Amino acid sequence: MNNGGANPVAIDLRDIHKTYENGPLKVPVLHGITFTVARGEYVAIMGPSGSGKSTLMNLIGCLDRPTSGTYVLDGVDVSKLDDNALADIRLRKLGFVFQGFNLLARTDATNNVALPLFYAGVPNRKRRELAQRALEAVGLSDRGHHQPTQLSGGQQQRVAIARALINDPAVLLADEPTGNLDSKTSEEIMTLFAKLHESGRTIVMVTHDERIAANARRTIRLLDGLVVADTAAPACSA
Amino acid sequence: MIYVQEAFAVLLANKIRSLLTITGLIIGVCAVIAIQVLGASMAGSIDGLLGGMSDNSFIIFPSQTQRNMTEAAVKLGDLQAIVNAVPSVIDGVPLGASQELVRNGHFEGRYRVSPESANPFNNLPLLYGRKIDADDVSGGMNVAVISNDAYLRLFPNGGDPTGQSIYAGPNRFLVVGVLTPPKRGFLNAGFGGAIAIPWTTYVHRYLHGDTVFAARFVASDTSKIGSSEVAVINELRKLRGKPDLQYQTFDKSQFSQGVASVFNAMTFVVAIIGAVSLLVAGIGIMNIMLVSVAERTREIGVRKAIGARRSQVLMQFFIEALALCGIGCAIGWTLGVGIGAFVNNVAIIKVTGSVVPVPWAQTIATTIIFAVVVTLAFGTYPAFRAASLDPIEALRYE
Repeated sequence: MNNGGANPVAIDLRDIHKTYENGPLKVPVLHGITFTVARGEYVAIMGPSGSGKSTLMNLIGCLDRPTSGTYVLDGVDVSKLDDNALADIRLRKLGFVFQGFNLLARTDATNNVALPLFYAGVPNRKRRELAQRALEAVGLSDRGHHQPTQLSGGQQQRVAIARALINDPAVLLADEPTGNLDSKTSEEIMTLFAKLHESGRTIVMVTHDERIAANARRTIRLLDGLVVADTAAPACSA
Repeated sequence: MIYVQEAFAVLLANKIRSLLTITGLIIGVCAVIAIQVLGASMAGSIDGLLGGMSDNSFIIFPSQTQRNMTEAAVKLGDLQAIVNAVPSVIDGVPLGASQELVRNGHFEGRYRVSPESANPFNNLPLLYGRKIDADDVSGGMNVAVISNDAYLRLFPNGGDPTGQSIYAGPNRFLVVGVLTPPKRGFLNAGFGGAIAIPWTTYVHRYLHGDTVFAARFVASDTSKIGSSEVAVINELRKLRGKPDLQYQTFDKSQFSQGVASVFNAMTFVVAIIGAVSLLVAGIGIMNIMLVSVAERTREIGVRKAIGARRSQVLMQFFIEALALCGIGCAIGWTLGVGIGAFVNNVAIIKVTGSVVPVPWAQTIATTIIFAVVVTLAFGTYPAFRAASLDPIEALRYE
């Protein structure tokens, strides 16, 4: 059911370099990152601050372009695309889950979830229908009319996950998805991720929390802009 | 449409701020619309202002600034000579009135008895009977058409008075017609007088000597009034053999133009006030939109991360500005029409005797144009700024 179902490789990064230019000052952040993520994988990216994991996340999320190297997302080379083309890629192939949930205020759960469909030009009735189904999938079918302020942190994050999944993306990108949650709620979110993984979702999660990373089946560790470890974890006990 | 819904949700969430922002717009639009409503009323009610003066009549009288005014005075014999000499003039009638005690039995009042021709000075419709006709004039008949005012006073019992007699001083006249009341304009003192009689009869009964001083001429067509005035003045100079005689003219279009020029000046001033307030309002709107963009930087980042294109973010903020301007202009329009209609009903109606309906289409068009222009001029930059935000920076924004 995923976009480009014929592509066994979801993410293919080759020799990715990223250098920020701040006037005359050149700050190299990524020094040649190469790895692939197969469809259906559940990957955690770890690393201390300054290791370049945010930059890598932005690149994988098509919010930025690499200085050099190629990035093929679900069969499409996105390393040289313009802003509008990248926006379309984000809309159709990626789903974002943020640390701070980032739901629209004064907008109920259904409309928050339906937002990407609006940008995709899906008609209103169809949007609401799909949003309701996505909310059911994250266990919030009765919260469609609640505004973010009326939902707990865990519920807000589940609404955000429903929003990320509504366009049936090739990759679900999560940036510290449990960073703002207590351990019990974090557990619930990780259970939801595990369920999504079992149903065949490709998940890439950035975290600095070892216990959260342990939920993933594979951990990529960054240090000073390079991949220093890429380990497959045994099936976790969660 | 979701953009519009969202725009209104945002504006409603900041009610006070939104209201303060559009205050300038409300005042500006209100002023402009009110003056538009009043202008239409003034322009359309000149008829009432002149109390039913017929369109193709014009009056000629000697200028008072010349040395020998009596020589310039119009004489009885000039009238027919001018009608014969100037093809576009179809009638010449003495202008004047004689104040008389007018009686019907023991009902009486002082009224102006005035000369009238088959081309009436007064174009008010009839309540009873007929107007003065050509036979009345050529035969010098003792007949009268009376104003509604005189009718109410002399015939307080009502009913059709035609065929009855009234006395104006020693002279008996047969009432042949009654006019409807004029609109309550302030210049309705009655050009035609209250008791209109055939001008030939007037000359015979009330004019002493052959000097009528001022005269009314009737042009064959309203468009020929201007040229006829010049021709009549030239003819008068020729008849007297004095090319330096000075005359003044008066006709309805002159009066309309006078009113129009006063009103144009007023309109100009109000337009400037409106323009300045719109400028100030526009700057206020731009300011608040920039604040809104800054406040919602994170939201914009989320929208872009989710896949919103630049154009879609641009559209969102543009529609928000449009909604803001639209609400302001709509309120301004409502107040403007209200104030215009109110002033019409309490003041203009007293001056002109009539109120022209509000020019709905014109005011609505003006309002829509204002809303669009202000939005385009002052909403574009903030929307553009929102659309240009870098999603990574925007998401990091606290």
